[in-house]
Amino acid sequence: MAEFIKLIDVTKCTGCRGCQVACKQWNGLPAEQTRFFGSLQNPKDLSYDTWTLIRFDELEKDGQLKWVMRHDACMHCDWPACAKACPSPGALTKTEEGAVVHNTKYCIGCKACIAACPFDIPRNNPELEKMAKCTLCYDRITEGKQPACVTACPTGCLTFGTKDEMIEKAHKRAEKVGGTVYPNNPKYETHVLYVLPAGVGASDLQHTNPNPSMPLSVLLWKNLFKPFTLIGIGAVAGGAFLHYLTKGPHKVHEKKEGGE
Amino acid sequence: MDITRRGFLKIAGGTLAAAGFGTGVGIKPAFAMPRKIQYAQEVPTICPYCGVGCGIIAHVRNGKVINTEGDPDHPISKGALCPKGGSLYQIANNDKRNKKVLYRAPGADAWKEVEWDWALEKITANLKKTRDEGFKLTNANGEVVNRCESIAAIGGAALDNEEVYALTKMNRALGLVYVEHQARI
Repeated sequence: MAEFIKLIDVTKCTGCRGCQVACKQWNGLPAEQTRFFGSLQNPKDLSYDTWTLIRFDELEKDGQLKWVMRHDACMHCDWPACAKACPSPGALTKTEEGAVVHNTKYCIGCKACIAACPFDIPRNNPELEKMAKCTLCYDRITEGKQPACVTACPTGCLTFGTKDEMIEKAHKRAEKVGGTVYPNNPKYETHVLYVLPAGVGASDLQHTNPNPSMPLSVLLWKNLFKPFTLIGIGAVAGGAFLHYLTKGPHKVHEKKEGGE
Repeated sequence: MDITRRGFLKIAGGTLAAAGFGTGVGIKPAFAMPRKIQYAQEVPTICPYCGVGCGIIAHVRNGKVINTEGDPDHPISKGALCPKGGSLYQIANNDKRNKKVLYRAPGADAWKEVEWDWALEKITANLKKTRDEGFKLTNANGEVVNRCESIAAIGGAALDNEEVYALTKMNRALGLVYVEHQARI
């Protein structure tokens, strides 16, 4: 199956939050009790029950107010740190379509993915001790449908398509509006792309990472320490086997009468 | 817990095998994720809320609405939905919805549950009483008007076209002149 990309054209977003509701609706997520905190952003942050969120940023550029609404969800990295850090097989998988999908059934609640994610996306449920995040609607895209948020978007801000087509579209649109593509990093490809408006950089917005990378701790742990432990376990097992070959099976000593 | 030698070897072997997994990120098809609307009947409908009239597909299984989403083939909305229309599922499935009629008597400070029949009769009686008291046959100039100025009607945005038609017919038959809609207030 082809690789897909979700393109988010921030210049077209009106902040209606139809995508937020569509996400909750499709994934059967409950509403949250929230409090007003001075912004139209609601809920305040992603959570176990909120996988996508419109983030409202008020920026002052050259004496002008810029109000930027950004659809924030999992970036579906090509080389996902969360799946790399995850110790439970099957709990976080990278699929052929490009989606990084979590499976709550196999999640052991260790929160390694939350610490590893360069975009701070996965969220834990303290009651269930499980994580959850956007799945790029894996159950929809494999059936030829678009993700729920993309289907619902009324302004055409969210679009979904094959990788090459969407990358080309993103750069064309960025050129037209004089903006930038985020994260435009050939070393760190993601299956979600943003077109940011003119004069707005990724570092101006909340909850972004202009220079995403796999955390060094995860790399050290998984590529250095883990193979060493595996070698260590193998050496112990091999040693035990050698011991068996050279010394033979354990013999039970007969107890002597009256002796210590 | 007693561990025999053989049992210990089994456990050690299992741990060894388990430790071999999960060292890297391999691209693989994820588990089969069954689509929740599989084999459900698709019923096209129109969003009841505003005048745009976005198309919605209601997925129905065994007579129950299991999902609603924007209709991508609809000429007006092309699948798009605002948050209000997107939450339409909750019109059909909502545990916060009142299932009984609640009645608060004049001057009372608490709601009490009443039967539908009683409530409809009470509404009808109040309607007739108010209309009889405030009905005007002629205006100040003595011209025949036959109108009821003591009652106003407000339509809700969740009413569909046919319901609105029937409601307006009834209002006009009663002689109401103050017929408004929630969306205009």
